[in-house]
Amino acid sequence: MRRMSRRALLRMTAGGVAAGYLGRAGEVVWAAAARTDPYATARINWRQLAGERIHILVTPVHYFTKFRAVTSEFTRLTGIEVTFEVIPPREMREKAVLDLGARTANYASHTADPMFLPLYAANNWVEPLDLFLDDAKLTDRAWFALEDIVPLWRRANTVRGRLWGMPVEGEVTIHIYRKDVYDRLGLRPPETLDELRETARRSHAPAQNLFGLALRGFRGAGQNMYIWPSLFRAYGGQWFDHAGRPTVNSEAGVRSLEYYVSVLREFAPKGVENWNWPEIMEAFAAGTVVQYVDANSTASVIENPAKSKVAGQIGYQRWPKGPANKRVTSIWNWAMPINAALPSRKKQATWLYIQWLASRPTQLSSATFKETPDAVVRTGVNRMSIWQDPEYRKVIAFTRDYADVVLTSLREDTDADWRPRIPEWPEIGEAMAIAIQEALVGRKTPKQALDDANAELSRILRR
Amino acid sequence: MTRRTQSSADARQAPPGVLAAPAPGALRAVPRRRPSHDEARFGLLLAGPSLLVLGLVSTLPLAFLVAVTFFRIEVTRPWATGFAGLTNYATMLTDPRFWHSLRVTAVYTVTSVALQVVLGLAFALALAGEMRGRHVLRTAVLLPMVLAPVVVGLVWRTLLLTPRYGLLDYLATVLGVGSHSWLGDPTLALGAVIVLHTWQWTPFAFLVFTASLAALPVEPFEAAMLDRATAWQRFRYITLPLMRPAIVTVVIIRTIVALRAFDAIYAATGGGPGTATEILNLYAYRVAFNGLNLGYGATLTVTLLLVTAAMTVLFGRLRGAVESPA
Repeated sequence: MRRMSRRALLRMTAGGVAAGYLGRAGEVVWAAAARTDPYATARINWRQLAGERIHILVTPVHYFTKFRAVTSEFTRLTGIEVTFEVIPPREMREKAVLDLGARTANYASHTADPMFLPLYAANNWVEPLDLFLDDAKLTDRAWFALEDIVPLWRRANTVRGRLWGMPVEGEVTIHIYRKDVYDRLGLRPPETLDELRETARRSHAPAQNLFGLALRGFRGAGQNMYIWPSLFRAYGGQWFDHAGRPTVNSEAGVRSLEYYVSVLREFAPKGVENWNWPEIMEAFAAGTVVQYVDANSTASVIENPAKSKVAGQIGYQRWPKGPANKRVTSIWNWAMPINAALPSRKKQATWLYIQWLASRPTQLSSATFKETPDAVVRTGVNRMSIWQDPEYRKVIAFTRDYADVVLTSLREDTDADWRPRIPEWPEIGEAMAIAIQEALVGRKTPKQALDDANAELSRILRR
Repeated sequence: MTRRTQSSADARQAPPGVLAAPAPGALRAVPRRRPSHDEARFGLLLAGPSLLVLGLVSTLPLAFLVAVTFFRIEVTRPWATGFAGLTNYATMLTDPRFWHSLRVTAVYTVTSVALQVVLGLAFALALAGEMRGRHVLRTAVLLPMVLAPVVVGLVWRTLLLTPRYGLLDYLATVLGVGSHSWLGDPTLALGAVIVLHTWQWTPFAFLVFTASLAALPVEPFEAAMLDRATAWQRFRYITLPLMRPAIVTVVIIRTIVALRAFDAIYAATGGGPGTATEILNLYAYRVAFNGLNLGYGATLTVTLLLVTAAMTVLFGRLRGAVESPA
C-alpha cells in the first residue's frame, strides 16, 4: 500500500467515484466487457471479414429472440452485420428449401430441422461444416471445443461422416407429471410404459375435469411423428430391414401404435387428435391433465406461476422404458447450416457467426439473457459443460433433479435412428403422420394404418 | 361486345372445316367497321406494357407449370430429374389419395355453395324490408367476410370447436347434442369445415342478393298483390325468376373460390384427421411443398385448374342460357 504511487491512488479513487456516479451504466459496461473478453482468447482474427452482411432465417421462439438480442455483440466483435427474418417453423422450412433448391442464396443460414440435413447433403445445398472447422484461419478448434457440444445432436446432424448443421439449441422429450396428484393417489413415477398406462388409469377422473395422459395427436412430421417414434423404438421397432425395405408394420410397430391409440383414447381429453405441444402444455398448466411426455423446454412455462396453476407441483423423469427395455427420447436440435450458393466470403462470415453463436460464452450468456422482464430461461443449451455448470444448473433448478433428468436423457436415452434419416424424410414423415392420426381417430386399425403406410413408404422409396 | 368481335376473329382464322359450321357466337356477331391500321397499332402500344407484365407474371409461369407436369422433378431425388412424358398423369389416375381428395373437393364445394346461396337469399329477404336495427344487422352479417381465412380457421379450431372449452361445443352440450371432437372425427370434421366456409362466405351471397333485390322492378309485385298472390307465390313466381341471373353469378363465383379454398382448412384441420378434409388444393400443396415432389404437385395443380376452368365454361354456358331467353 505504501508503495502505491500517488497517481495510482488518484486513479483508483477517481475510478471508484466515477463508477459510483455512473451507477447502472457502469455495470452494463463492465458486464459487456466481461462478455466480450472470452472471445479474445480465441486465436483467430474475428475482424477478418468486417463489413460483410449476412441474412438469416429463424423461427419466432424465445431462444432465437435471445440470440437475436445478443447478436449486436457479435457485430461489435467482428464488424459483420447480421439481419434476421422471423417466420413460423413450417413456413420457414418451405422458404429455406425453396431458397436452397433455387440457389437464390437469400439466406446465409437458417434454423434447420436436423431431419432435413440428409436432403440438404444429398443435393449439396449446404457446405459441410468440417471445411470451416478445419480451417485454422477461421476456427480455433481448442477454443471452440466442438467435442463439448451435445454428442447426440452432432450425430443427428452428421450425414456420410460429415457435420452439415451446427446445433445451437435443442431439447429432449421427458415425462412430466403432477407430483401432487401422484402423492395424493400414492402413485410412484412409472418405470415402464405399462406402468405409465396404469398411472393414467388410476389418476383419470374426467368427472373432475382431470385427464390421465396427453400426447401429441395432431398430424404432422413434427407433431404426432415426433412422439410415436419414441414408442416405436422402445418397442424395438426398426424403420428398415437389411435390404432397406420399410418395416414400420412389424409387430413392434403395430403394438406401439396400439399402445399410443389406446392410452390416448382412454385417458386423453377429447380432441387430442388435434393437439400439438402448445395445447398439451396449456391443458397441463390449467391443471386438467395429470401427465404428458414432451419437450423439456415446456418446463419454463409450466413452472411460471403467472402462466401456470400447477407451478411447483411438477415432477420430471426420463421416458419410461418400453418392452425392448430401452428409453427413447427425441433428438431435436436447431441446426445451422451454411448455404452453398453463397459467395465464399459470405460463407466464411456465416461460419464466424455460427461459431460465435455455438461457442460456450455465447451459449451461456444468452441462456439467462432477459429480453423482456418476464423472459424465460433457455433450457436447451448445446454444451455438456454448461449442463454441468453449477451457475446454469441453479437457473434451471425447477426441481432438484430437473437438470439431471435432461442431462441423463441427452446422454443415454436415444439413438440417431430415432426417426429415419434419409433424404425422403419429408414425404415419409408426412405419410407416417397421416397413418398415426387415422389410427387414433379410428378410421383404420393400427395394423391397417401401418400396413398402408408401409406400402406407401415402399412406393416412395422405390420410385 | 368485345367478346363477340373476338370470337368472330377466331372464326376467321379457323381452318375451313370449322368455318363450315360456325359457332353460334359468330352468327350473332354484327359486322363492324374494322379499326384502321393506325388505331390498332396505337391500341397495341397502349396495352403493350400491361400485356407484357401480364405475360411475365401470369402466362409464363402458367406455361412453365404445365411444362413441369411432363417432368420428373423431385427435390429429394435430384439425380432422378428428367423428362417423364405422361407418367405424372398416369400416377395420378392410379393414386387413391388423389381420387379421395377430388371427392372431398366435390362434397365441400357443392355443399358449401348450396348452403351459401340458400342462406344468403334467406338473409337478404329477411333484411330487405323496413325494420328497426336493419343497418346494424346488415353490418353484423357482413363481418365474417372481412376476416382473413386463416384467422377464421384458427378461431373455429380453438375458440369455437374445442371440446369442453369451445363456444359451439358448449352450445351443443346445452342443446343436448353433446360434446364432440368436432375436428377430430372424420365425418364431423368435413361438416365443420363446410360450415366454417359457409359462415365466412354467405355474406358475399347476401351482399349480391341484397343489391339485386333492391333493384327489382316494383310493378310485377304490385300486380301480384292485386291478384292476391300469396307471399310464397310472389317469391316463387316473381322474385326467384327475376333473381336468377344474380343467383347464377353467385354460384359461379363461389364455386370457383370454393374449388381453390385452402387457408381456412389448412389452419383448422391441416387436411385431417388423416385425410378426411384434404381437398385437392391441399393435397397438391402437400405433395409439392411437404413431399417436395414438384412434378407431381404441378400435375395435381394443373388438374385442379382444368376442373375449375371446366366449371367456369359450364356455368358460363348456363348463364348465357339464362340471359338469352329473356
